[in-house]
Amino acid sequence: MSEEMPNLTRFERRDVDVALTYDDGSEFVITYDDLRHACPCAKCSPMRNEDEASKTLRRQVEAHPKEKPQVRTVGNYALGFEWSVGCSSGIYRFERIWDLANRRDPDNGRPYVHGAW
Amino acid sequence: MADSPVTQHGANSGEVPAEATPQEQKQMEQAYAQMKRKMSMAEIGRKIKHKVMVLSGKGGVGKSTVSTGLALALAQQGLKVGILDIDITGPNVPKMMGLDGRRLHVESGRIHPAQGHLGVKVISMAFLLDNEDTPVVWRGPIKLGAIQQFIGDVEWGDLDYLIIDFPPGTSDEPLTVAQSLPDIDGMVIVTTPQDVALLDSRKSITFSESLKVPVLGVVENMSGYTINGKATANSEVQIAGPAGKTLKATADGEGNFSITIDIFKEGGGKSTADEFGVPFLGALPFDPGFVRGGDDGVHRIVSEPEGPSAVAFAKVVAALQDQIVDSSGSGLEII
Ligand SMILES: Nc1ncnc2c1ncn2[C@@H]1O[C@H](COP(=O)(O)OP(=O)(O)OP(=O)(O)O)[C@@H](O)[C@H]1O
Ligand SMILES: [Mg+2]
Repeated sequence: MSEEMPNLTRFERRDVDVALTYDDGSEFVITYDDLRHACPCAKCSPMRNEDEASKTLRRQVEAHPKEKPQVRTVGNYALGFEWSVGCSSGIYRFERIWDLANRRDPDNGRPYVHGAW
Repeated sequence: MADSPVTQHGANSGEVPAEATPQEQKQMEQAYAQMKRKMSMAEIGRKIKHKVMVLSGKGGVGKSTVSTGLALALAQQGLKVGILDIDITGPNVPKMMGLDGRRLHVESGRIHPAQGHLGVKVISMAFLLDNEDTPVVWRGPIKLGAIQQFIGDVEWGDLDYLIIDFPPGTSDEPLTVAQSLPDIDGMVIVTTPQDVALLDSRKSITFSESLKVPVLGVVENMSGYTINGKATANSEVQIAGPAGKTLKATADGEGNFSITIDIFKEGGGKSTADEFGVPFLGALPFDPGFVRGGDDGVHRIVSEPEGPSAVAFAKVVAALQDQIVDSSGSGLEII
């Protein structure tokens, strides 16, 4: 858990990635492929447990057309993304987006076991 | 109580404190325990981002099915979720979550939830019962005390959502919870399309005003029976429904079709919601799989994560999440 996470103030959807601006002035880019590969839903998460399955997930994600997602805020703690194809189930907590922005493993190296968070 | 600062003998023996009588001692310990509980409730309030109560006027309309379904649908999104099952007389959440027969797990004076399907944390009054088939009859004050204890002493950890399942009717339990747990987001009212249930859900909505907990919305349960079938790809399918109505559907490219038949009157939940000016969160189909899931401990959402019931739950959850929008999140500009 990142202790001093700044607040996300701007989420700009570009052609293949999103540009993020935080209230401490820092800026980041996350590609849609990275974002989709990191989907936290109960179906995608377990796929990242093993290298092979994770690569399969990666290939699936990369095969999708590059498109801007619909973005919805979920409460004050997360974002949801709606894609025209592929998985749209995951709710990304701001901590998760912050980890991705900083090129950190949002799963923290922990394999996904139902409930082992 | 090992960590109580109230010790039997004056700790700083330099200044000979007046010795407390055993009765005073007891009172002090109780006051201390109460204070500690209050503090931990405040902390729980902070660590759990959203608290949602699930209520209905009438029994058996599917509160527990909806509570567990909401919890699982939220967990499917990757969120951290807990369920508190307040129903002392007929707790059935553990069964639905595959935790039948669990006992309360206590460690260093804190109660630890059991983990059910998709990692959902569960605390149920059933964990206190010796035999699940004999519902306990608790006297009011004991019951309410147990609820407060359950709220204050459970080690939930960080949660995105806590779903609280109640016994039927508008009684003391919701009041106790609303008074003990800070910042409840609101309540979800479960109803079925029949009129009696509707009348009772109206009562729940009025009740919410007295609790000062907002209604997040109404869910209509058992609202239609969906049948699935196969036909020629892209063809139109017709079925003779109740009351001489013809129901139509179009098969998809692979020939799959599904049609929902309204067994009871349709749209009852929606009209209650409209009448009271509260949101309608959606309808859940009548699905025999829920009954099976209640018996064999594998919830419908787990046994068929992409089936029509799971899809219906996902819609209800999305509508619920739309209701729980905090103003602090609105500083974000999405371009
Ligand atoms: N959508 C549904 N389709 C089919 N059966 C359902 C559905 N919802 C609930 N049931 C079944 O109806 C019964 C009552 O449901 P449930 O226990 O969830 O209701 P409840 O409101 O919590 O009841 P109580 O008032 O006793 O707490 C259960 O057997 C359950 O499996
Ligand atoms: Mg119940």
